[in-house]
Amino acid sequence: MRNRVREQRTQREMSQAELAASLGVSRQTVISIESGRYLPSLPLAFAIARFFGLTVDKMFDPDEEEAGT
Amino acid sequence: MMTFIRPRLRKPLRNALAGTVFAAAWALRGGNTSWLAIAIEVTVLVSAITMYVRAGEDNDEGALAGSRADERQKLLSIRSRALGWNFAMVAAFIGLSIAVAVKAAWWWPFLAIFAVAGFGYLLGLSNYGIAEEEPADDAGPRHPARSPAS
Repeated sequence: MRNRVREQRTQREMSQAELAASLGVSRQTVISIESGRYLPSLPLAFAIARFFGLTVDKMFDPDEEEAGT
Repeated sequence: MMTFIRPRLRKPLRNALAGTVFAAAWALRGGNTSWLAIAIEVTVLVSAITMYVRAGEDNDEGALAGSRADERQKLLSIRSRALGWNFAMVAAFIGLSIAVAVKAAWWWPFLAIFAVAGFGYLLGLSNYGIAEEEPADDAGPRHPARSPAS
């Protein structure tokens, strides 16, 4: 599943540590989410989407992975 | 219970306490192996200090040691513990098989490990979901759900 976390974060010129602090998770978890190695829980996915002012389906797109694989 | 203790101190303290109990057991046992109690206590204290230092590091291990793990790190810990338990089960099975084959008297501790693991597994199923299963909701095009008002 692809996501736009890195894209949105870099657009806002935020560091991974700053985003992690805002979301209440570790920097390592932000790295894992951005790289697609970890799928966040529903509450965390909502928190991420809400933080960037997007909807969850705009933030996380399962179809993109299928197209990429 | 441990909430009044700083998160970074919790696991090192817990491990130090467990190690001290084990060292005390060796001390109570007495005899010519009581020196082991001192060796165990020293090892436990060094280990606890090492854990406390590691708990301050900015990585997954540090977060787990410092009791500040987020959801991914907790999942990582649960998976790692499950893997460790699987290894223990395989080791217990091998031990039990060997003990039975050589007609040893020490077969029962291996069986006890299986019994405790089995009980823990069933307790887990009961606590974390199976008991909460509900009958299927047949609401659908052919069986529309009824509103309490209708």
